[in-house]
Amino acid sequence: MSTDKPAKKSPPKPRGIRQSMSDLHIWTGLLVGWFLYAMFLTGTVSYFKDEISQWMRPEIAHQAQVPDAAVVAQHVADKLRTEAAGSPQWSIGLPDARNNVVSAFWRTPGIEGRRAFQSGTFDPVSGDKVAGRDTGGGNFFYRFHFQFHYMPVLWGRWLAGFCAMFMLVAIVSGVITHKKIFIDFFTFRGGKGQRSWLDAHNALSVFGLPFHLMITYTGLITLAALYMPWGSQAAFKTPAERQELSVQLSAFITPAKPTGQAARLAPIEDMVRQAQARWGRDNIQRVNITLPGDAAARVTVSRGDEGRASVSPQYMLFEGSTGKLLETKDSVGPAAETRGVMYALHLGRFGDTATRWLYFLVSLAGTAMVGTGLVMWTVKRRQKLPDPDKPYFGFWLVERLNIAAIAGLSIAMTAFLWGNRLLPLDLPRRSEWEVDLLFIVWGLALLHAMLRPAKRAWIEQLWIATAALALLPVLSAFTTERPLWRSLLAGDWVFAGLELTLWALAALHALLAIRTMRHSPKPKPARRAAAPVATTATPAGEGA
Amino acid sequence: MSGWFHGVAFVLCLPGFAALALAMERHQEDRFGHAFAPSLTRRLRVAGWGALLLALGVLVGAQGWGLGLVSFSGHTSLAAGLVFVALLVQGRRQA
Repeated sequence: MSTDKPAKKSPPKPRGIRQSMSDLHIWTGLLVGWFLYAMFLTGTVSYFKDEISQWMRPEIAHQAQVPDAAVVAQHVADKLRTEAAGSPQWSIGLPDARNNVVSAFWRTPGIEGRRAFQSGTFDPVSGDKVAGRDTGGGNFFYRFHFQFHYMPVLWGRWLAGFCAMFMLVAIVSGVITHKKIFIDFFTFRGGKGQRSWLDAHNALSVFGLPFHLMITYTGLITLAALYMPWGSQAAFKTPAERQELSVQLSAFITPAKPTGQAARLAPIEDMVRQAQARWGRDNIQRVNITLPGDAAARVTVSRGDEGRASVSPQYMLFEGSTGKLLETKDSVGPAAETRGVMYALHLGRFGDTATRWLYFLVSLAGTAMVGTGLVMWTVKRRQKLPDPDKPYFGFWLVERLNIAAIAGLSIAMTAFLWGNRLLPLDLPRRSEWEVDLLFIVWGLALLHAMLRPAKRAWIEQLWIATAALALLPVLSAFTTERPLWRSLLAGDWVFAGLELTLWALAALHALLAIRTMRHSPKPKPARRAAAPVATTATPAGEGA
Repeated sequence: MSGWFHGVAFVLCLPGFAALALAMERHQEDRFGHAFAPSLTRRLRVAGWGALLLALGVLVGAQGWGLGLVSFSGHTSLAAGLVFVALLVQGRRQA
């Protein structure tokens, strides 16, 4: 980093590498920054998507103890016999420490493609279909963060990949641009306009740099087969080879040819018991059953994510009619395992609670990194505006988009959760309305940002976000049977933790709002001595 | 306790980064008004790196290399961030 010392006083020379990299960093960052911010923030909250899903289904009681996977699998398989009669493929996602329901899906015979699958949520204890509100749950944020919404899934994924590639370029060029990555490691020079923004941006970037690089790169890897299918197309030509590829990547086995000979499924419970003996009682992820009721039935019981930084399939394969163990799959080839590890690193599902919080916090810093970068583009240019009240169109646009993309998104995401509590339970397409509501509110935020003076718009939206976040637990107390105090007394840390986190986020937004209010842009660089800018006079800001 | 190593790692990383920050002349001058003697600076630096390495050792010992490195990355990011905020808040107090 410090080998070449760009002579400070040398007259303008041909542009150095740093200057080029700086330009690259600024413009790649700006061009897709709004998308990146949304991807980062929705991805960040997705580390708690299971908890968010639980919160969005308040009818389903808190699960104090993880039910025995073997018993649950048997219950649900029995239920599917009527619920999914005639289906050649069942998949039962079992509850775990973070999931209090069984999510199953099955293939409807005679239909091809994605439409062929039906899904249902089941109560782990009774095995009955859960009659909760119709909601997208935390899964919406998760899906949105790599495929957006209101557009074909493939377009969304291509767009996400395009943005992620830009992100990777921005990170690498940013590191090259950053002259004193070690000397300025802990440096923050407050009250100095652009310099302060740069320090904050650097700190947010550098502290989480390993994470930011990892998450961007592995994010691209998760969809690499979509972006670059040619390798596997060239290598795997026959159906058998393709079959072998999919065995390396997933625990879903394709149904064999049915024999037509009826045969009752052997007890699923016993099969799951064998897997539990191998991987631990609460470390069973899924039971897949193909051709149930046929003599050629197969059952796989797959291992959970806990404690292994890889999502490569590990499962036990049983003969459905006899319950005989046919195969135990413990490993995949090195290439598939590399993918499995990268995928797992991105998802972070292997982690315990502490690790998940670390992922969340560092990812939040990444979100703030993108946010500060976007804001800095305007801070840097505002000083040079001839008339700050009448900026040129490009500046105006960036500034307004920043407000809606940053402050507006907080409001919109919170509105999604408000919608979950407020939309009538019998509203048709209710779960889609939740999402529509998010985008309606986001659109209104953009409109508001364009109509109000920029600073007012920032302040108002940050306060609205603060209020919306802070009042959400109150709303939930009135609209559900599970107010915060009861969750706390009951030791329900899913509900209590989420609602306390909402308050912490409300405090963060309040702090940002207060700081924005106090901020008065300096006319010109003039006074730069050790000005005890506004901070001594108003220490209340720290208290928020 | 299943997560004890997270606590240990946190308790090591935080003073580790604090020591590394205080081993830097800029922060010595900002906090104490003068630069430290070179020997003290060196000891701080050694202590800081030592604490971080120890944290890495604890995490890898408890979780293996795969999960240990992931946890270490998280703990170092968090601790560095907290030290940064602490310096910032303290700077405000002094100002």
